[in-house]
Amino acid sequence: MLRLMTAILLVCLSATARAQSIEEKANVCGACHGEDGIPQDKAFPIIWGQHAGYLYLQLRDFQKGVRKNEIMQPIAEGLTKDDMMALAEYFEKKQWPKLPQAAASGADAATAKRVNGSIGCTGCHLDQYQGDGSIARIAGQNHDYLLKTMLDFRTRDRANNPGMSDLMNAASEDDLKAMAAYLAGF
Amino acid sequence: MPKNSKNGLLFGTALTTALGLALAASAQEVKQDSKMAVRAAGATNVTQQQLDDAAKDQNNFLHTNGNYAQTRFYPNKQINKDNVAKLHPAWIFQTEVKESMETSPIVVNGTMFATTSYSHVYAIDAKTGAELWHYKPKLGAITTYCCGPNNRGVAVADDKVFVATLDAKLVALDAKTGNVVWEQKLADPEDGYSETMAPTVVKGKVLIGTNGGEYGIRGFVRAYNAADGKLLWNFDTIPENSVGVWATKDATGRDMHRDIEAEKAQLAKIGDPYKRLGGGVWQNPAVDLATNRIFFVVGNPSPDLDGSIRPGDNLYTDSLVSLDLDTGKYACHFQYIAHDVWDLDSVSPAVLVDVADKSGNTIPGVIHAGKTGHIYVHDRKDCSLIRFSDAMVAQENMWTLPTKEGARMLPGANGGVEWSPIATNPQAHLAYAINLHQPMTYQVESSPYPGGKLWLGGAFKVIATEESAGNVTAVDYNTGKIKWQVKTPEPMIGGILATDGGLVFTGEGNGLFKAYDANDGKVLWQFQAGAGVNAPPSSYTVDGKQYIVVGAGGNTQIDFKRGNNIIAFTVD
Repeated sequence: MLRLMTAILLVCLSATARAQSIEEKANVCGACHGEDGIPQDKAFPIIWGQHAGYLYLQLRDFQKGVRKNEIMQPIAEGLTKDDMMALAEYFEKKQWPKLPQAAASGADAATAKRVNGSIGCTGCHLDQYQGDGSIARIAGQNHDYLLKTMLDFRTRDRANNPGMSDLMNAASEDDLKAMAAYLAGF
Repeated sequence: MPKNSKNGLLFGTALTTALGLALAASAQEVKQDSKMAVRAAGATNVTQQQLDDAAKDQNNFLHTNGNYAQTRFYPNKQINKDNVAKLHPAWIFQTEVKESMETSPIVVNGTMFATTSYSHVYAIDAKTGAELWHYKPKLGAITTYCCGPNNRGVAVADDKVFVATLDAKLVALDAKTGNVVWEQKLADPEDGYSETMAPTVVKGKVLIGTNGGEYGIRGFVRAYNAADGKLLWNFDTIPENSVGVWATKDATGRDMHRDIEAEKAQLAKIGDPYKRLGGGVWQNPAVDLATNRIFFVVGNPSPDLDGSIRPGDNLYTDSLVSLDLDTGKYACHFQYIAHDVWDLDSVSPAVLVDVADKSGNTIPGVIHAGKTGHIYVHDRKDCSLIRFSDAMVAQENMWTLPTKEGARMLPGANGGVEWSPIATNPQAHLAYAINLHQPMTYQVESSPYPGGKLWLGGAFKVIATEESAGNVTAVDYNTGKIKWQVKTPEPMIGGILATDGGLVFTGEGNGLFKAYDANDGKVLWQFQAGAGVNAPPSSYTVDGKQYIVVGAGGNTQIDFKRGNNIIAFTVD
C-alpha cells in the first residue's frame, strides 16, 4: 500500500516539477496531508498552519536522509532549497484545522503538566504549545502522529533531533501517552 | 507566534484619530519591516560623554545595566525607604507580544526604549506611557533558540538605537522614528545562532555576542561600526587550542571527577573540538574606560551534558574573559569550571567595582555571579580570582557526573544565578543577586553533532517531588559573606536594581514586584503585576519625578505566566 502511494505521489511530483506555481507544487501534499488540511490518516501530521521554519527543516532533513520516511524522502529529493522554503511558507499561511479530538482526561492533563514541569516542553514549544519559527506547533496535532513521533524520538528511529530524543528518554512511555492525549485535545 | 492583539494605548480620542492616520500613512511606506510611527521621539541624541557618565546620571538610564561598569545602581533617592510604600503605577504599556519578557528599559531624555520577545522595539513617552513608535522586524523563517524568543533590550548612542534580533541580525534604528538605518547579518540561524542579548555601544563600536551553546555553534564577541554596521573585529570565544591545562578542580577547589586519561585518548583520536564547542555569550560586556578593556562571561560548551566528545578544558567556556576594546585582542581569562558537563556556566553579566584584595587593599575588581551560586571576585588586572562568596543556594553532591539514569545534584542547571544581572552598591561593597533553587537530575546520552539542532547530550530533569524556591541575597564582596537573604516561593529569574534611596527592586514569577530595604532585606512594598515579573527593573527621572519601570511578561524558561505589560511606578 505504502509503495503504491509512493509511486502515485512520485508520478504527481514529476508533474509538479514542471509546474509554475507553488500552489500546483503543493497539490501533491494534499494526498496525505489533506486537501482541506485534515490529514487522510491519523498517523500523518497536520501541516496547514505549521511554522515555515519547522516545515523547511523537515523537508531538508528528508532530503539529506537524516529523517527517514518512505513517502517523504523521494518527494523531498527533487526539491530545491527555494522550493522547500516556498512550500513551507505556503503551508504556514494556511489555517490550522481543528480536528475532532477530545480534551484529555483530568489525569492525563495532570500528568502532562508534570512532564512539562520536569523536562520543559514549553521551553521550546512555547506557551500553549504553539511553537514558532523552527519549532513545531504541537497543540491540536493529530493524536496518533504525536504519540508515534514521541516514541520514535525515544527509540531514535526519528533521528533528526537528538535533543528531542534525549528529552523523550527522560520521560516514561506512559507519560508520553498522557502528553499525546493532552496535546491532541488542546 | 502567539500574540496579544491588544495594544493598550492610553490616549484621548483626538490623538487616537491622529494615530490612525499615522498608522495608515506609514503602512504604505514600509515593506520589509512593519514599523508603526505614531510620532517622533523627543531629544534622543546621546553623546559618548553621557554614556561615560551614566553612573552619575540622575535622569536617564542609558545602559542595560545602568552604566559601563554594570553596577545597576541608580543614583537618585527621591523614591526611598520613607515613601516607597506609596509607590503606584504611573502608567501601564501593553505591547503587542504576550510572551516571555526580559527587557531592560533604556531611558533618554524622557523617551523609553523597551523590547519584547521576537525582537520588537518600542519607543514610549516615559512620562505618559504613550507609544511613539514600534519596530517589528520581519524575522527569517528559521530561528533557533533555547529558553524562549527573548530580547533583553537595546543600546543607544548618538541618534541611533541598536537591537540584535532572534534571527541573528544586528539592526540600527533611527532613535527618533524607528526607521532602519542599517542591518547586519551576524550568523546563520540554521547553524544554531540567535540573538537575545542587548548590545553595548562604546566609542563608535557596537559590541555583541551570540547565543547557541545548546546547538554546537562556535561563539563570538564582535565589534561593529556604529555608523555603518561594518565588522571591526571578531573574537572567537572558543580558541583553536581549546584544550587548556587539564584542570581537575573548579574555582572553589572542588574535584570535578574528570577522567583526564580518557579525554587525552579522545583528543588524540578526534583532535581539538573547537569548531562546534559552543561558548555563547548571553549578556553585555562591562567596559573599563580607564584601561580600554571589556569584561564578559562565556557560557557552556556544546553538547551541554556529554563531555566524552569534547576533550580538554573547553576554553573559554564557563569563563570570565577580558579583551582590548580597540582590537578585540585577548587580555586575560579565568575559567570557573573546566570541561563543564552540568551547564552550570557563566551567564550573569560581569560588574566592575573596586574590591578588597587578599591583603585588604582596594584595587579595581570585577565580580560575577555564577550558576554555581557563588559570587566570584577577581583582580581586574589579570582576571585572577581573589575570593568567592558563601554559596547563595544549596549545593549537594557537587560534582557528581551525569549518568544514563540521571544523577541528582544541586544546584540545578538553571543555577544558582541565571542570566539575571546583579545589582551592587559600591559604597557598601554589597552585591544583590537573585537565586534559583531547582533540584534536578543530570542525565547523559551521547549523540553526534546534529547540524544546528538542539544538542544537549542528555537531559536536565526537574525533580517534581522536591520543592523549588528562590532567594534575594545581599553579599559583601569584600568578605564573601552573605549579609542578608530573603526566601521567595518561586525560583528567581529576571534581574535586580539598587537605588540611592536605600532600596532594591526585583520581581517574581508569581507576578509580585517588590521593593526591599537594601540594608536588611525587609520587604517595604509590593505590587501584583498579573504576569511573571522576570525582567531587570530600571529607574529614571522626568520633569523632576523619579520612576521605577519593569517588564511583566513572564518567562519561557521556567514557564512563568506570560503577559505583555511594561509598568512604570512613581510616588506623588
